[in-house]
Amino acid sequence: MPPWSTAAPAISAAFFASLVEVVEAFTIVLAVATLRGWRPAALGTAGGLGVLAGIVLLLGPVLDRIPIISLQLAIGILLLLFGMGWLRKASLRAAGIIPLHDEDAIFAAETAELGDNECRPSKSLNWIAGITALKAVLIEGLEVVFIVIAVGAGRGLLVPAGLGALAACALVLTAGVLVHRPLSRVPENSLKFGVGVMLSAFGVFWTGEGLGIAWPAQDLALVLFALLFLGAGLIGSIFARKLSVEFA
Amino acid sequence: MTMLKELAAELIGMFVAEKWLTMAVLLLIAVTGSLVDFIGVDRLVAGVFLLFGSLLLLVASICHAARPPTH
Repeated sequence: MPPWSTAAPAISAAFFASLVEVVEAFTIVLAVATLRGWRPAALGTAGGLGVLAGIVLLLGPVLDRIPIISLQLAIGILLLLFGMGWLRKASLRAAGIIPLHDEDAIFAAETAELGDNECRPSKSLNWIAGITALKAVLIEGLEVVFIVIAVGAGRGLLVPAGLGALAACALVLTAGVLVHRPLSRVPENSLKFGVGVMLSAFGVFWTGEGLGIAWPAQDLALVLFALLFLGAGLIGSIFARKLSVEFA
Repeated sequence: MTMLKELAAELIGMFVAEKWLTMAVLLLIAVTGSLVDFIGVDRLVAGVFLLFGSLLLLVASICHAARPPTH
Protein backbone atom coordinates (compact mmCIF):
# COMPACT_ATOMS: atom_id res chain seq x y z
CA MET A 1 0.00 0.00 0.00
CA PRO A 2 1.51 3.40 -0.99
CA PRO A 3 1.92 6.05 1.74
CA TRP A 4 -1.26 7.88 2.72
CA SER A 5 0.11 11.24 1.52
CA THR A 6 0.42 9.74 -1.98
CA ALA A 7 -2.81 7.76 -1.96
CA ALA A 8 -5.11 10.38 -0.37
CA PRO A 9 -5.22 12.82 -3.33
CA ALA A 10 -5.91 9.96 -5.78
CA ILE A 11 -8.59 8.37 -3.57
CA SER A 12 -10.36 11.67 -2.86
CA ALA A 13 -10.21 12.78 -6.54
CA ALA A 14 -11.67 9.44 -7.64
CA PHE A 15 -14.29 9.51 -4.88
CA PHE A 16 -15.61 13.04 -5.48
CA ALA A 17 -15.45 12.84 -9.29
CA SER A 18 -17.29 9.51 -9.19
CA LEU A 19 -19.86 10.98 -6.82
CA VAL A 20 -20.75 13.63 -9.43
CA GLU A 21 -20.96 11.10 -12.27
CA VAL A 22 -22.88 8.44 -10.31
CA VAL A 23 -25.46 11.01 -9.17
CA GLU A 24 -26.04 11.92 -12.84
CA ALA A 25 -26.40 8.27 -13.88
CA PHE A 26 -28.65 7.53 -10.89
CA THR A 27 -31.09 10.30 -11.89
CA ILE A 28 -31.67 8.70 -15.31
CA VAL A 29 -31.84 5.13 -13.96
CA LEU A 30 -34.37 6.33 -11.37
CA ALA A 31 -36.46 7.99 -14.12
CA VAL A 32 -36.47 4.67 -16.01
CA ALA A 33 -37.42 2.73 -12.86
CA THR A 34 -40.18 5.19 -11.96
CA LEU A 35 -41.80 4.98 -15.39
CA ARG A 36 -41.16 1.36 -16.46
CA GLY A 37 -40.27 -0.45 -13.20
CA TRP A 38 -37.01 -1.70 -11.73
CA ARG A 39 -36.54 -4.64 -14.16
CA PRO A 40 -35.51 -2.64 -17.30
CA ALA A 41 -33.61 -0.17 -15.07
CA ALA A 42 -31.65 -2.96 -13.36
CA LEU A 43 -31.02 -4.84 -16.63
CA GLY A 44 -29.84 -1.64 -18.38
CA THR A 45 -27.58 -0.79 -15.43
CA ALA A 46 -26.14 -4.31 -15.35
CA GLY A 47 -25.53 -4.15 -19.10
CA GLY A 48 -23.76 -0.78 -18.78
CA LEU A 49 -21.60 -2.07 -15.92
CA GLY A 50 -20.80 -5.20 -17.94
CA VAL A 51 -19.58 -3.16 -20.93
CA LEU A 52 -17.53 -0.95 -18.58
CA ALA A 53 -15.97 -4.03 -16.95
CA GLY A 54 -15.06 -5.29 -20.44
CA ILE A 55 -13.40 -1.96 -21.28
CA VAL A 56 -11.39 -2.07 -18.02
CA LEU A 57 -10.33 -5.68 -18.64
CA LEU A 58 -9.21 -4.78 -22.17
CA LEU A 59 -7.44 -1.56 -21.17
CA GLY A 60 -5.68 -2.93 -18.05
CA PRO A 61 -3.14 -5.20 -19.79
CA VAL A 62 -2.54 -2.57 -22.53
CA LEU A 63 -1.63 0.06 -19.90
CA ASP A 64 0.94 -2.31 -18.36
CA ARG A 65 2.80 -2.47 -21.69
CA ILE A 66 3.15 1.31 -22.14
CA PRO A 67 6.44 2.80 -20.82
CA ILE A 68 5.78 4.75 -17.62
CA ILE A 69 7.06 8.10 -18.97
CA SER A 70 4.82 7.92 -22.06
CA LEU A 71 1.88 6.86 -19.89
CA GLN A 72 2.43 9.77 -17.49
CA LEU A 73 2.64 12.25 -20.35
CA ALA A 74 -0.47 10.92 -22.14
CA ILE A 75 -2.54 10.71 -18.95
CA GLY A 76 -1.19 14.07 -17.74
CA ILE A 77 -2.31 15.80 -20.96
CA LEU A 78 -5.75 14.14 -20.85
CA LEU A 79 -6.14 14.99 -17.14
CA LEU A 80 -5.16 18.59 -17.74
CA LEU A 81 -7.72 18.93 -20.55
CA PHE A 82 -10.42 17.11 -18.56
CA GLY A 83 -9.73 18.90 -15.25
CA MET A 84 -9.51 22.37 -16.78
CA GLY A 85 -12.74 21.68 -18.68
CA TRP A 86 -14.54 20.85 -15.43
CA LEU A 87 -13.00 23.79 -13.59
CA ARG A 88 -13.93 26.19 -16.40
CA LYS A 89 -17.53 24.96 -16.45
CA ALA A 90 -17.84 25.06 -12.64
CA SER A 91 -16.41 28.60 -12.54
CA LEU A 92 -18.88 29.76 -15.21
CA ARG A 93 -21.74 28.11 -13.32
CA ALA A 94 -20.61 29.73 -10.06
CA ALA A 95 -20.55 33.10 -11.85
CA GLY A 96 -24.07 32.53 -13.17
CA ILE A 97 -22.94 32.57 -16.83
CA ILE A 98 -24.29 29.07 -17.50
CA PRO A 99 -27.12 27.46 -15.50
CA LEU A 100 -26.43 25.04 -12.66
CA HIS A 101 -26.89 21.31 -13.29
CA ASP A 102 -30.41 20.52 -12.05
CA GLU A 103 -31.06 16.84 -11.24
CA ASP A 104 -34.81 17.47 -10.72
CA ALA A 105 -35.09 19.08 -14.18
CA ILE A 106 -33.11 16.24 -15.79
CA PHE A 107 -35.32 13.68 -14.03
CA ALA A 108 -38.47 15.47 -15.29
CA ALA A 109 -37.10 15.75 -18.85
CA GLU A 110 -36.05 12.09 -18.95
CA THR A 111 -39.40 10.95 -17.56
CA ALA A 112 -41.25 13.09 -20.13
CA GLU A 113 -39.11 11.72 -22.98
CA LEU A 114 -39.77 8.13 -21.96
CA GLY A 115 -43.46 9.00 -21.45
CA ASP A 116 -43.68 10.26 -25.04
CA ASN A 117 -43.25 6.66 -26.22
CA GLU A 118 -46.32 5.40 -24.27
CA CYS A 119 -48.20 4.55 -27.50
CA ARG A 120 -45.64 1.82 -28.32
CA PRO A 121 -46.06 -1.85 -27.25
CA SER A 122 -45.01 -2.62 -23.67
CA LYS A 123 -42.07 -4.85 -24.72
CA SER A 124 -40.70 -2.10 -26.93
CA LEU A 125 -41.09 0.40 -24.09
CA ASN A 126 -39.13 -1.81 -21.71
CA TRP A 127 -36.41 -2.15 -24.34
CA ILE A 128 -36.17 1.64 -24.81
CA ALA A 129 -36.12 2.12 -21.02
CA GLY A 130 -33.37 -0.49 -20.58
CA ILE A 131 -31.24 1.07 -23.33
CA THR A 132 -31.71 4.51 -21.73
CA ALA A 133 -30.42 3.17 -18.40
CA LEU A 134 -27.54 1.32 -20.11
CA LYS A 135 -26.51 4.46 -22.01
CA ALA A 136 -26.56 6.61 -18.86
CA VAL A 137 -24.46 4.11 -16.89
CA LEU A 138 -22.05 3.64 -19.79
CA ILE A 139 -21.56 7.35 -20.52
CA GLU A 140 -21.13 8.45 -16.91
CA GLY A 141 -19.20 5.26 -16.10
CA LEU A 142 -16.68 5.94 -18.86
CA GLU A 143 -15.77 9.17 -17.12
CA VAL A 144 -15.39 7.30 -13.80
CA VAL A 145 -13.17 4.67 -15.47
CA PHE A 146 -11.03 7.39 -17.06
CA ILE A 147 -10.64 9.25 -13.76
CA VAL A 148 -9.72 6.08 -11.83
CA ILE A 149 -7.15 5.08 -14.48
CA ALA A 150 -5.82 8.63 -14.78
CA VAL A 151 -5.25 9.25 -11.07
CA GLY A 152 -4.26 5.66 -10.30
CA ALA A 153 -2.21 4.26 -13.21
CA GLY A 154 1.54 4.65 -13.20
CA ARG A 155 1.84 4.97 -9.43
CA GLY A 156 0.34 1.72 -8.27
CA LEU A 157 -2.77 3.56 -7.08
CA LEU A 158 -5.34 1.86 -9.30
CA VAL A 159 -6.78 -0.16 -6.41
CA PRO A 160 -7.09 2.78 -3.94
CA ALA A 161 -8.56 4.99 -6.69
CA GLY A 162 -10.96 2.20 -7.67
CA LEU A 163 -11.99 1.82 -4.04
CA GLY A 164 -12.66 5.56 -3.88
CA ALA A 165 -14.94 5.26 -6.93
CA LEU A 166 -16.71 2.20 -5.49
CA ALA A 167 -17.28 4.05 -2.20
CA ALA A 168 -18.93 6.88 -4.17
CA CYS A 169 -21.19 4.35 -5.97
CA ALA A 170 -22.16 2.74 -2.65
CA LEU A 171 -22.90 6.12 -1.07
CA VAL A 172 -25.09 7.31 -3.96
CA LEU A 173 -26.98 3.99 -4.18
CA THR A 174 -27.59 3.93 -0.42
CA ALA A 175 -28.77 7.56 -0.39
CA GLY A 176 -30.86 6.93 -3.52
CA VAL A 177 -32.58 3.87 -2.05
CA LEU A 178 -33.31 5.78 1.16
CA VAL A 179 -34.73 8.98 -0.39
CA HIS A 180 -36.05 7.35 -3.61
CA ARG A 181 -35.84 10.59 -5.59
CA PRO A 182 -33.16 12.47 -7.59
CA LEU A 183 -30.25 13.52 -5.39
CA SER A 184 -30.67 17.19 -6.22
CA ARG A 185 -29.28 18.39 -2.89
CA VAL A 186 -25.79 17.14 -3.67
CA PRO A 187 -23.71 20.33 -4.11
CA GLU A 188 -22.71 19.23 -7.58
CA ASN A 189 -21.06 22.45 -8.75
CA SER A 190 -18.90 22.74 -5.63
CA LEU A 191 -17.86 19.11 -6.05
CA LYS A 192 -17.14 19.69 -9.74
CA PHE A 193 -15.12 22.79 -8.87
CA GLY A 194 -13.08 20.85 -6.28
CA VAL A 195 -12.52 17.87 -8.55
CA GLY A 196 -11.59 20.18 -11.45
CA VAL A 197 -8.96 21.77 -9.19
CA MET A 198 -7.52 18.38 -8.18
CA LEU A 199 -7.52 16.89 -11.69
CA SER A 200 -5.91 20.02 -13.17
CA ALA A 201 -3.21 19.85 -10.47
CA PHE A 202 -2.63 16.16 -11.26
CA GLY A 203 -2.58 17.05 -14.97
CA VAL A 204 0.21 19.65 -14.65
CA PHE A 205 2.16 17.38 -12.28
CA TRP A 206 2.03 14.32 -14.56
CA THR A 207 2.52 16.23 -17.81
CA GLY A 208 5.58 17.83 -16.25
CA GLU A 209 6.92 14.47 -15.07
CA GLY A 210 6.24 13.03 -18.53
CA LEU A 211 8.37 15.88 -19.98
CA GLY A 212 11.16 15.01 -17.55
CA ILE A 213 10.51 17.77 -15.01
CA ALA A 214 11.38 16.76 -11.44
CA TRP A 215 9.04 18.84 -9.28
CA PRO A 216 10.52 20.09 -6.00
CA ALA A 217 8.99 18.45 -2.89
CA GLN A 218 7.62 15.72 -5.22
CA ASP A 219 4.02 14.80 -4.29
CA LEU A 220 3.68 17.83 -1.99
CA ALA A 221 3.91 20.03 -5.10
CA LEU A 222 0.41 18.76 -5.89
CA VAL A 223 -0.94 20.71 -2.91
CA LEU A 224 0.61 23.94 -4.18
CA PHE A 225 -0.70 23.28 -7.71
CA ALA A 226 -4.19 22.60 -6.33
CA LEU A 227 -4.14 25.86 -4.35
CA LEU A 228 -3.07 27.79 -7.45
CA PHE A 229 -5.81 26.23 -9.59
CA LEU A 230 -8.34 26.92 -6.83
CA GLY A 231 -7.25 30.56 -6.85
CA ALA A 232 -7.37 30.76 -10.65
CA GLY A 233 -10.87 29.24 -10.74
CA LEU A 234 -12.13 31.67 -8.12
CA ILE A 235 -10.49 34.68 -9.80
CA GLY A 236 -11.88 33.57 -13.16
CA SER A 237 -15.34 33.27 -11.64
CA ILE A 238 -15.14 36.77 -10.10
CA PHE A 239 -13.91 38.30 -13.39
CA ALA A 240 -16.62 36.45 -15.32
CA ARG A 241 -19.34 37.78 -13.01
CA LYS A 242 -17.99 41.34 -13.38
CA LEU A 243 -17.78 41.01 -17.16
CA SER A 244 -21.31 39.66 -17.45
CA VAL A 245 -22.63 42.58 -15.36
CA GLU A 246 -20.60 45.04 -17.44
CA PHE A 247 -21.97 43.72 -20.74
CA ALA A 248 -25.54 43.22 -19.49
CA MET B 1 -25.22 3.18 -34.18
CA THR B 2 -26.77 6.31 -32.67
CA MET B 3 -25.56 5.17 -29.24
CA LEU B 4 -22.02 4.66 -30.54
CA LYS B 5 -22.08 8.17 -32.01
CA GLU B 6 -23.32 9.56 -28.69
CA LEU B 7 -20.60 7.67 -26.84
CA ALA B 8 -17.94 8.97 -29.22
CA ALA B 9 -19.27 12.52 -28.82
CA GLU B 10 -19.24 12.10 -25.03
CA LEU B 11 -15.66 10.81 -25.09
CA ILE B 12 -14.48 13.73 -27.23
CA GLY B 13 -16.49 16.15 -25.08
CA MET B 14 -14.65 14.89 -21.98
CA PHE B 15 -11.42 16.40 -23.26
CA VAL B 16 -12.63 19.16 -25.55
CA ALA B 17 -14.72 21.31 -23.24
CA GLU B 18 -13.98 24.29 -25.45
CA LYS B 19 -12.00 24.12 -28.69
CA TRP B 20 -9.99 27.28 -28.03
CA LEU B 21 -8.93 26.15 -24.55
CA THR B 22 -8.03 22.64 -25.76
CA MET B 23 -5.90 23.95 -28.62
CA ALA B 24 -4.18 26.48 -26.36
CA VAL B 25 -3.37 23.85 -23.68
CA LEU B 26 -1.97 21.45 -26.31
CA LEU B 27 0.12 24.28 -27.76
CA LEU B 28 1.37 25.20 -24.28
CA ILE B 29 2.46 21.59 -23.67
CA ALA B 30 4.16 21.43 -27.08
CA VAL B 31 6.03 24.69 -26.37
CA THR B 32 7.05 23.45 -22.89
CA GLY B 33 8.36 20.20 -24.42
CA SER B 34 10.28 22.16 -27.06
CA LEU B 35 11.79 24.44 -24.42
CA VAL B 36 13.16 21.39 -22.62
CA ASP B 37 14.20 19.22 -25.56
CA PHE B 38 15.34 21.68 -28.24
CA ILE B 39 16.29 24.93 -26.50
CA GLY B 40 17.73 23.37 -23.36
CA VAL B 41 15.84 25.54 -20.90
CA ASP B 42 16.16 24.39 -17.27
CA ARG B 43 13.45 21.77 -16.68
CA LEU B 44 12.14 23.45 -13.56
CA VAL B 45 11.77 26.78 -15.42
CA ALA B 46 9.86 24.91 -18.13
CA GLY B 47 7.67 23.41 -15.40
CA VAL B 48 6.89 26.84 -13.98
CA PHE B 49 6.06 27.98 -17.54
CA LEU B 50 3.66 25.03 -17.93
CA LEU B 51 2.01 25.64 -14.55
CA PHE B 52 1.48 29.39 -14.87
CA GLY B 53 0.61 29.07 -18.56
CA SER B 54 -2.19 26.65 -17.62
CA LEU B 55 -3.48 28.98 -14.91
CA LEU B 56 -3.45 31.94 -17.29
CA LEU B 57 -5.25 30.00 -20.03
CA LEU B 58 -7.91 28.90 -17.54
CA VAL B 59 -8.68 32.46 -16.39
CA ALA B 60 -8.58 33.73 -19.99
CA SER B 61 -10.98 31.00 -21.14
CA ILE B 62 -13.45 31.73 -18.32
CA CYS B 63 -13.37 35.47 -19.05
CA HIS B 64 -13.72 34.82 -22.79
CA ALA B 65 -16.87 32.76 -22.17
CA ALA B 66 -18.35 35.53 -20.01
CA ARG B 67 -18.21 38.07 -22.84
CA PRO B 68 -21.17 38.18 -25.21
CA PRO B 69 -20.37 36.89 -28.72
CA THR B 70 -19.39 39.61 -31.16
CA HIS B 71 -20.89 39.22 -34.64
